[in-house]
Amino acid sequence: MSKRIGIVGAGVTPFKGTWREKTYYELAQMAAREAVKDAQIEISDVDAAFYGIYNDIFERTAIPEHAIHGLLGMQNKFGIRITNGGATGAYTMSAAHAYLAAGRFKTALVLGVEKATDCFDFSSMSATPEVIKTIGWSGDSFFEQGIGWTASDSYAEVVLAYLDEHPGDLKPEITARISAQLSQQVRDNKYAQRQFDQVTPEEVINSRLVVYPFKELEICVYTEGAAALIFAEEETAKEISRNNGTPVVWITGVGEANEHSFAGKNQKNMSRIMSDYYASHRAYEMAGIKDPTKSIDIVELHDAFVHQLEISMAEFGLVPLGNADSLIEDGLMTPGGKYLVNPCGGLIYCGHAVGASNIMSAWSARNELIKRGLKTALVHGTGSTVAQYTACLIFEHV
Amino acid sequence: MEKKKVIDEMYIPDVGSQIETIDGKEYLITNDAMYTFYRRTKGEFSPFFLALKNEKRLLGCKCTKCGLVRVPPFLTHCPDCNFVPTEMIEVEQVGIMNSTPPITYFATSMFQHMAPYGRGRVIFRGADTALSINLYTTTGILVPGIIKKGTEVKLIFRDERIGEMTDVFCIPTAELTQEEINKNGLQESEINWEVPVEPSLPDASEEDMARYRKALAELKSLIGDMNGNESARKAIAGWKRDIQVKTRGGQFAVLIDDGDIKLEETVLSSPDFIMVCDDLNILLDGLAYRGAITDSVINKKIWISKNMEFNTIFKLDRMARFLVRSKKT
Repeated sequence: MSKRIGIVGAGVTPFKGTWREKTYYELAQMAAREAVKDAQIEISDVDAAFYGIYNDIFERTAIPEHAIHGLLGMQNKFGIRITNGGATGAYTMSAAHAYLAAGRFKTALVLGVEKATDCFDFSSMSATPEVIKTIGWSGDSFFEQGIGWTASDSYAEVVLAYLDEHPGDLKPEITARISAQLSQQVRDNKYAQRQFDQVTPEEVINSRLVVYPFKELEICVYTEGAAALIFAEEETAKEISRNNGTPVVWITGVGEANEHSFAGKNQKNMSRIMSDYYASHRAYEMAGIKDPTKSIDIVELHDAFVHQLEISMAEFGLVPLGNADSLIEDGLMTPGGKYLVNPCGGLIYCGHAVGASNIMSAWSARNELIKRGLKTALVHGTGSTVAQYTACLIFEHV
Repeated sequence: MEKKKVIDEMYIPDVGSQIETIDGKEYLITNDAMYTFYRRTKGEFSPFFLALKNEKRLLGCKCTKCGLVRVPPFLTHCPDCNFVPTEMIEVEQVGIMNSTPPITYFATSMFQHMAPYGRGRVIFRGADTALSINLYTTTGILVPGIIKKGTEVKLIFRDERIGEMTDVFCIPTAELTQEEINKNGLQESEINWEVPVEPSLPDASEEDMARYRKALAELKSLIGDMNGNESARKAIAGWKRDIQVKTRGGQFAVLIDDGDIKLEETVLSSPDFIMVCDDLNILLDGLAYRGAITDSVINKKIWISKNMEFNTIFKLDRMARFLVRSKKT
């Protein structure tokens, strides 16, 4: 019988476009310090560390976690790094959950960190093209990297294929309204990269095309930062909760799926994000959720792109495929609506520090469940080419 | 074939460092690189790439049990049939789009020379799976709507081929003659490409002149604002371009130099590129963040003499956004 696992501490660094003042060593320690402080434990109380770091090239070193382990005071204990594209953070939580549920450890540090904008393109004298290029090394190296594969164009493939099947959905005025709404929600997140970057739907529509059909204000931004959680098995979690007075948020469901990375018969159906479908429904099943539309209160969704946010919500079964615009048109995610989606501002406004992003989302979901007295949240991470990877977790606060 | 380095000189910085001061503290920032060179085998994909390069043929692999034809020939054994062997076969050079392809306008430094470009997936006749490939049109800049799901496309071979996926691309068959469609191994030099020509502008009426002068005055004021705005200046830090702008009513120069931007009513002898927009208000709206200049280029309301200069257009769009954003905060 697997053990029940809960979150007993959480912390994040400010998410910033660039951190000239810190290396990733210090960012990692900042988040870890915040998490143990929140749990009111000492780092020596933590049995194991799980590191979510996406891309060696961003950190400019292979096995970038090796230095962090001792700098966090975790020497001579278990340490493992997870790297699964954009879904790195969610998969890191999934791995930590599995080890604790199996009884290997009583407590674990789940830490995500990423530097990105140390990368710099000297031909255009700006960071962004080099950041995109660095992510571009993640594409298939025999057939796709050389012809300009990027994360944006691979997700755009999925969105356009969805629109081939559902031409009336994902209307530009709706994606613009969602982006504008997220820019309002981020106001309350003092750690966000774009806390004060409120935009109107008109500004979103007028922003420039980056990769058709994505406009600049519909895309997540590159970020540097770290996020950390303390996981504990049931008895330890209850003891920590009694001590710090903060309720445990339980992880009641976990699900993952990685699709085929190439398209065609017996390969990926480009118009779907089946990884989102399988991962979310596996997490529902583990959590005993029969009808997610009746159970889910908060969704902390990896919004790499607004269009993908809409499709992911449909794959989660929270709105119909082909009518994801009902999120806005039927008020399902507008303020006061049925679902609270990305109260932290999401990755578009809080920022996308890749390995840390989903862990930041979990930090937000946990805070919101406790603060608002809500019961159930879905936390999501997506990544790799054509939205190939997904991991989902269900959090419950009772 | 011209001898080239694996990494172009333009991407390689000089050894050096700089100091950035934040809140009174100094931080050291060093020019650096993380590089590895390869002599990398194409292994089991060698027949596929050699066929593209030397024979202008397109190969796939067919499962000897289920008959599924994969292009490219990803594997020697079929994972859907418990790893029975596959065999190499040739497929046709005409196919259809598996789905509507994205178009990249803002490319990484490595691909700026080919932006804007489409990359999509084509199911060639005789294949069951889709090949990821670049897409172009013979009619100029690729814009949404030209290539969609189901569009029939033709495989085109580069004149100079090196055994990479860049040896080939696709264009819509609707832009080719039947003879060209039927020909295997059709090369880029055999196609009639429309050559971009600088658009001519009609003579300006008095009303046009008045409109031009009004827009020019606003533009001068706006560019002055940008030049004095720390945030907007960041968008053109380290960048230098002399742009000749031609409109109905007159022409002028926009000069960008490492954070500085200014407008001069002059004709440059050797601009880095030329921008033509019939109505100056289109450019004015872009710089005032009332619509993106990028989109105006895509929609052919603004013409630029070099596609590579999309990079500069992005910087101008970014200046507009940074100026508006800094005023909000």
